[in-house]
Amino acid sequence: MADEVKLPADAFEPLDKSKHLDSEKISAPNLTFMQDAWRRLKKNKGAIIAMTLLIIFFVMAFGSAFISPHNPNAVNPQYANLPPKWPGVGINGFNGTLVQAGSRVDAYKAAGAASSVHYWLGTDYLGRDLLSRILYGTRISLTVAVVATLVDLLFGVTFGLFSGWKGGRIDNFMQRIIEIIMSIPTLVVVVLLILVLKPGMMSITIAIAFSSWTTMARLIRAQTLELKEQEYVLAAKTLGESSIKIAFKHLLPNLSSIIIIQTMFTIPSAIFFEAFLSYVGIGISSPKASLGTLLNDGQKNFQFLPYQMWYPAIVLSIIMIAFNVFADGLRDAFDPQSKG
Amino acid sequence: MAKYLIKRIFYLLLTLFIVITVTFFMMKLLPGTPLTNQQKLSPAQQHLILKQYGLTKPVWQQYLIYVAGVFHGNFGTSFQFSDQPVSYLISSRIGPSLLLGAQAMILGVIPGILVGALGAIKKNTWVDSTTTIVSILGISIPSFVLAVLLQYYIGLKLGWLPIADWGGFAYTILPTIALAASPFADTARFIRTEMVDVLNSDYIELAKAKGLSKWGVIYHHALRNSLIPVVTIIGPLAVNIMTGSMVIENIFSVPGIGEQFVKSILTNDYPTIMAVTIVYSLMLMVVLLITDIVYGIIDPRIRITNTSK
Amino acid sequence: MKFNKALALGAVSGASLLLLAACGSKSSDKSLASDQTLNWVETANLPTMDPSKSTDIVSGGTLNNVDEGLLRLGEGSKLRPGVAKSYSVSKDGKTWTFNLRHSKWSNGDPVTANDFVYGWRRTVKPSTASQYAYLYDHVKNFSAVNKGKLAPSKLGIKADGKYKVVVTLSRPQTYFKYLVGAQAFFPQNQKVAEKYGSKYASNSSSAVYNGPFKLTGWNGTNNTWTLKKNKQYWNAKATKLAAIKFQVIKDQGTWLSQYQSGKVDEIITDGTQYKQLKNSKEMHLRNGASTFYLEMNQRKGFFKNNVAARKAISLAINKEQLVKNVLADGSQAPKGLVPTKLAKRGNTDFADAAYVKSGTAYNLKQAKAEWRQALKKSGRSSLSLELLADDTPAGKQTAEFIQSQLTKLPGLKVTTTNVPFNVRLSRSTKGDFDLVIGGWSADFPDAISFSSLFTSNNSYNRGQWQNSAYDTAIKNAEGKDADNSAARWDDLVSAEKTLMSQQGIVPLYQQTQAQLLKSKVKGVQYFPTGAQWDFSHAYISNSK
Repeated sequence: MADEVKLPADAFEPLDKSKHLDSEKISAPNLTFMQDAWRRLKKNKGAIIAMTLLIIFFVMAFGSAFISPHNPNAVNPQYANLPPKWPGVGINGFNGTLVQAGSRVDAYKAAGAASSVHYWLGTDYLGRDLLSRILYGTRISLTVAVVATLVDLLFGVTFGLFSGWKGGRIDNFMQRIIEIIMSIPTLVVVVLLILVLKPGMMSITIAIAFSSWTTMARLIRAQTLELKEQEYVLAAKTLGESSIKIAFKHLLPNLSSIIIIQTMFTIPSAIFFEAFLSYVGIGISSPKASLGTLLNDGQKNFQFLPYQMWYPAIVLSIIMIAFNVFADGLRDAFDPQSKG
Repeated sequence: MAKYLIKRIFYLLLTLFIVITVTFFMMKLLPGTPLTNQQKLSPAQQHLILKQYGLTKPVWQQYLIYVAGVFHGNFGTSFQFSDQPVSYLISSRIGPSLLLGAQAMILGVIPGILVGALGAIKKNTWVDSTTTIVSILGISIPSFVLAVLLQYYIGLKLGWLPIADWGGFAYTILPTIALAASPFADTARFIRTEMVDVLNSDYIELAKAKGLSKWGVIYHHALRNSLIPVVTIIGPLAVNIMTGSMVIENIFSVPGIGEQFVKSILTNDYPTIMAVTIVYSLMLMVVLLITDIVYGIIDPRIRITNTSK
Repeated sequence: MKFNKALALGAVSGASLLLLAACGSKSSDKSLASDQTLNWVETANLPTMDPSKSTDIVSGGTLNNVDEGLLRLGEGSKLRPGVAKSYSVSKDGKTWTFNLRHSKWSNGDPVTANDFVYGWRRTVKPSTASQYAYLYDHVKNFSAVNKGKLAPSKLGIKADGKYKVVVTLSRPQTYFKYLVGAQAFFPQNQKVAEKYGSKYASNSSSAVYNGPFKLTGWNGTNNTWTLKKNKQYWNAKATKLAAIKFQVIKDQGTWLSQYQSGKVDEIITDGTQYKQLKNSKEMHLRNGASTFYLEMNQRKGFFKNNVAARKAISLAINKEQLVKNVLADGSQAPKGLVPTKLAKRGNTDFADAAYVKSGTAYNLKQAKAEWRQALKKSGRSSLSLELLADDTPAGKQTAEFIQSQLTKLPGLKVTTTNVPFNVRLSRSTKGDFDLVIGGWSADFPDAISFSSLFTSNNSYNRGQWQNSAYDTAIKNAEGKDADNSAARWDDLVSAEKTLMSQQGIVPLYQQTQAQLLKSKVKGVQYFPTGAQWDFSHAYISNSK
């Protein structure tokens, strides 16, 4: 005998079928990978500041092609090597004075400049406005670095993925190619390219790209070797996914952090390599300027005209730091694993 | 393993041969000659001198002679140093370069690992921020700027260390620091990223759950696994140091091959350029071979034999 | 044999006289510092110590201090005795006889006439591949020996006994006396050279020295070496310095820091450093014997037979501003092709004697007028030119400046191309340029070393400017007037005037080195040609 509990007919309410059809549904809005990343990125104040800075630098550098305080190439020899002078500011370092042979002199007066003449960041050895030169130099450095990095990305990632994924003989062969390229010092490649092509931005960009993609390829390949033994890749393989699909769906997202970090290594190192070439004497040739050539010109006169090194160095460092902080932010945003 | 090694060394020699060939023919495109006084010589006199250097022979003959020479350690005669075989030029100058390179590698990588690991362990604290800033500064200042600053402030203004020149440990300190900044920063950043990833992985959770001490987990599991990718960047770091050494040796007047290489490039001294290229290439290939072997040893997930399947 | 000139040099005590000249004041109270060590800097390595193979200023300068030829250059480029006590020249100017003193190599061997014969033959014979052998071109049988068609023993030099050298020239050469002081004419110790073979003079111990100093601590490739007093030198008692320590510094900033910290005793300043330090008491301007100039391609096209165009280019370039504000390293505006202080006759400097004002003047208004005329003549309204220059800092600065100056000419567009030295040379020799900036420096103190460059079809005449009056003047100076110094001088002056009034080239600047030298260092001599520095009478003084 069982107790029968009699329930009233209205003890249950029928569900509205149209409303709760899928109880598994996630209530939060559906976000794509990019939206999700952006949401996380926004929370990172440092990254946002860095991104803003980078946008400002890009806008100023590329905007200076249209609006610039002075023509960056206008030579004005009588105003050569004038220190910074800000209208109405009397602090040493911004008032157009300079320590010359032990005593502070007004360089503007000595050059016979009218009181209305002022260069915010001073002038270089040919009397060109340093602020305009820096904006112009930033533009060239960024162009060289970004183009070189794009080539690096496209080429390096594809190469590394393919090599690591295929393994065996193909991998071996591809690694030999990389080894050969990597074992020729970059400078030689650059010198030859500069000779074969005409000296200039193009040859330097190509040379930097040519010598930097190999690092990316090696890293990607090493990581791919590791990833392809992971269970989820094996599972995908077993389920008959095509290699290309696996690469895009499984490998690339997991490689994204390493790609981003490496990219963010590549941009500064491209800027640096260009600067290095300037020091050696085969960089961007004048009257073109890059941050590297400006720095190199500046370091020669550091004892007497420190501003000629400090300002390009500060700009370069800010760009560098901004890239790095932004890269960190991006990495955290892209790679949910390392949310920590 | 032995089979693998033999195979790798065979490839190494093959690569070296390709490097020699490619650089030889590339250098032939350069307008370099031993005529340091070219401006004042008549074409007939120039021809006489070129003949003495064996440069009037057909290029393929020059190539064969060169290749045969290289395998006997004969890289020809420098165009700058008319009495010095290039092999002597390199052997007499490689010491300071190797010393600086090794010191910079040690000074860069070891503190880099420590600082990077510290940043990862103390993630999102002030320690992390400080180490991040330090390492970012390291990559945001070009080595020649850093060298100039060190030289001016520490060498000249404070007078603590020699400004330039060579002769004893004190002379190596400033160039080593300038050279080590970039590998240090690269390593620190790399390690931090890797270690953060590793610290989030399941086996660390497991190790923790097993009751291992925090530092035990870090030392035995996290650090070890984070070091693996570092091995892959040792090669690029070595290139970095080689490239950097050209600038740094120049600034600090170090009698090394980097400084000489720059001079050779600027004077189109192609026997020296070729020889230094070959030496740099060989050193790099050895570094890469070693890192690959080490990579296999420390990461059980990669099996060296895979590559020879 | 008859000698019409016999010049005895031996009796003069060169040392004390030269010291007076060098210090410019009485140094009777000269108090020598206890440490007689000089710290000198080179910007490049010492590539060789073989007198036959030396081409660069580092080895040239070092050789000049450790070895000695028949004669030595002294203050004001005057000759003083070297290994030769005296010399005489035959009436036809073709036979030169040098009487040697009894002196020794640093290993104790006597320096004999045979060492000169051996050294000269070694320099000229083809297997040595000397790049300065061309300096011998007036010596009898030079070109046949140099080409290997005659044995080295046929060269016009022979030993007459142990201490007399007789040289035969193929044609007279008044400036031969300057040449025998150059390192390509130094004596060489046969025993030592043959003992070391290909290693001869490739490090400090595989060579011997007959000059005021001897080289130590040089392994062939290192960045430091030391010159020590050579006790075997015949005039060793005049040598005050115990040692000169050399250091290679390639970075200009490093050099200044080393100078300021007192680690080195001298620095050649660059533009900015010079501007900051030019009022220093330690600053010395060293006028070099080199001129930089612009050549215009006259093989074809615009500049050929177009004096107005060439003049316009010259008038549009402000050379004063170039040296004062752009290079600003102490270099000077040129008076013409031949630099000042290179050659003198009586008290007249060659550059003053041959000065043509319009050849180096700046006048933009006139330049524009000439340029319009030139454009009209060739029927163009605009023109675009490529300016080729070295990729050195000075090359870039000059090119940028000239570009900015020339674009002020109506309808002219100038692009600059900076290339490595070798590329610049080969392109300019081939005539692959519109405008090229080049330079020349004299090997010996005579105007001919510049003037001979611009004769028609000379390979150094990169622009191929051609003028028959110029060619004739140079031909006379080298030919019929070679032994007549007054006529020869006039020939060279008129050639220079022709070059400048026709604006065959545009002189840009005369290179000058601005040197800071610690005031305690006295008596260092500077020569504008050949070896730059002579330390044989230098000393470190106690008083600053």
